[in-house]
Amino acid sequence: MNAARRTAELSNLGFSLLLALPVLLFLVLVVAYPLGHALWMSFHEIVFFGGYRATFVGFENFADVLTDRKFGKSLWITVRFTLESVVLAMLAGLLIALVLNRPWRLGGLVRTVVILPWCISLYGTGIMFSYLAKGQTGIGTAIAYAFGVEEAVNFVNRRWVIEVLAIGNAWNMAPLVAFFLLANLKTIPRRLYDLAAIDRMSRFGTFLNVTLPPLRFTLFVFTCITTVLSMKLFDFIFVLSGGGPGTASATLTYRIYKESFKDLDLGAGAAMSFMLLALILGTTLLLYVFWGRRAARTA
Amino acid sequence: MSPPGPAPRPAASRAAAPAVGADRPDAVAGKRAGRRSGPGGTTIWSRLALAAVLVWTLLPIYWFLRISLLTPDEIARYPPPLHPLEPTPAAFFNIFGFDHVLADGTVRRGSGQANQIIRGLANSAIVSAVVTLVTLLVVLPLAYAFARLDFPHKNKLLFAILLAVALPPVSTLIPFYAMYVRLGLAGTLTGLVIVTLTITIPFVTWMLIGYFRNLPEVERLARIDGFSRLETFFRIIVPLGRSGVAAAAVIAFLFAWNEYTYALMLVNGTTANTLPTAISGFLFQHPEPSHLAASLALTIVPPALVAFFLQRHVADMNLVDPVR
Repeated sequence: MNAARRTAELSNLGFSLLLALPVLLFLVLVVAYPLGHALWMSFHEIVFFGGYRATFVGFENFADVLTDRKFGKSLWITVRFTLESVVLAMLAGLLIALVLNRPWRLGGLVRTVVILPWCISLYGTGIMFSYLAKGQTGIGTAIAYAFGVEEAVNFVNRRWVIEVLAIGNAWNMAPLVAFFLLANLKTIPRRLYDLAAIDRMSRFGTFLNVTLPPLRFTLFVFTCITTVLSMKLFDFIFVLSGGGPGTASATLTYRIYKESFKDLDLGAGAAMSFMLLALILGTTLLLYVFWGRRAARTA
Repeated sequence: MSPPGPAPRPAASRAAAPAVGADRPDAVAGKRAGRRSGPGGTTIWSRLALAAVLVWTLLPIYWFLRISLLTPDEIARYPPPLHPLEPTPAAFFNIFGFDHVLADGTVRRGSGQANQIIRGLANSAIVSAVVTLVTLLVVLPLAYAFARLDFPHKNKLLFAILLAVALPPVSTLIPFYAMYVRLGLAGTLTGLVIVTLTITIPFVTWMLIGYFRNLPEVERLARIDGFSRLETFFRIIVPLGRSGVAAAAVIAFLFAWNEYTYALMLVNGTTANTLPTAISGFLFQHPEPSHLAASLALTIVPPALVAFFLQRHVADMNLVDPVR
């Protein structure tokens, strides 16, 4: 009995290795190697002009980045952008899910239209929202003139550019949130709504006590997913605002790009990359500790 | 608060309530109950909500794609027109290098970047197809192993995969670039395929682990019927999970088709240019809004074609609890 079990487990391991080993090897080569190289760069000062040279400088790159006021500003922009994106995406996703949960005629068509933003590329979304929000081409100006207000309405300015970015990002992410929430909504028994009606629960009370509880764990997971996606977002911001006007929308990802590719300060760029990675993992961990564990227990 | 009681009582209160005062909460509740609210009905509010959702979804797409149908006059007009006054498909011919004669005899010249667009289209198609195929070949067994088999360090490896999902592409751009220059992969389709796989493989693995976990436990039965492990996988599990496999394929395709950051840094300006980077030529070098809009419309065609399939199957993917 015991021996039989051991051979079964052994062949389990062998089979898993057979299936997974090539892939893990690929991941190590193609993910771990660049990450290791980036780690190496973050401890070196790399100079291109007058011949390529790399000098070991210890934690100097990290210290430089941390004392740079622009880094603090970018950190704040990233946090603000992420917070707004996540809140908007979750609210929009929830609203879309509630709407899709009704029995619409042509429901398949409605759902097809609604999922479209998630299928569209982020650079495409960036181009679309830049044309939508800029004063010269934007819908704000067109509507203002239609109502007789002869003034350009430009949202891509220092005050509102982050909000424009957050809306575009949420537009792109919300359908995914919505479809997973919808799958959850479908599992709520109709009977519970009948009982709530018998209890004369208000519409909001029904939502709070019947609809929301089964969604909790999904809401947690997608808060994490949208947080990670927002923090690592680059191409959308690059296309929409290019970090501007000025540095008003220079998130950490944009600053990493600028340090590495424009200022050719590879060490600082790499050091910043690891701080961003720490921010992403740290935020997810905090979300898990303060929310996820509880949501998992009650789900 | 009150026990449900016999059925007539809520009905009676519903009938009496409006006379007492329409703004009382129980009156409102009664009215709603009368209209069969809950998730089943479609009230005026839910119609408005649907309208809001459709506007939110379609407005950005409409506002940009309408530019592809505008004439140069309309594009130059200020304030921007709300809709095309004389819709013309000229831009869609122009981006492929063809001239288009308008009704009034004016000729809209083919774009000088048509070669870039055509080559970008071909390259994007090749890269996306290869990435989709390789992703499936690699991910199906991997996700299956994670979903159904126990092996040492499984959770650590799963964590490594999630870490790869969380990794920002900008952080690994320089190392990739350095590695690619050394290996001669910079500016090649092979290089772009490899780097795109680093995005698709972790994400699709994560999706499929949860999917495979939800499939019925048929392995033991298959083993009793004399199937080997590999046969069980290829002849039972994959056909059984074909909708999930197809959804995984579609999502891998979309990721590859939409990839921009790596393409911008690794193949932009070379013969391995993909459609997104070819389009960014319109964006930065030679602004021609109608051509930009027409070529962006081109990139939306495949996503629009798979959207109907995805809306049915995307939620089969278990993103939420792959490990539980």
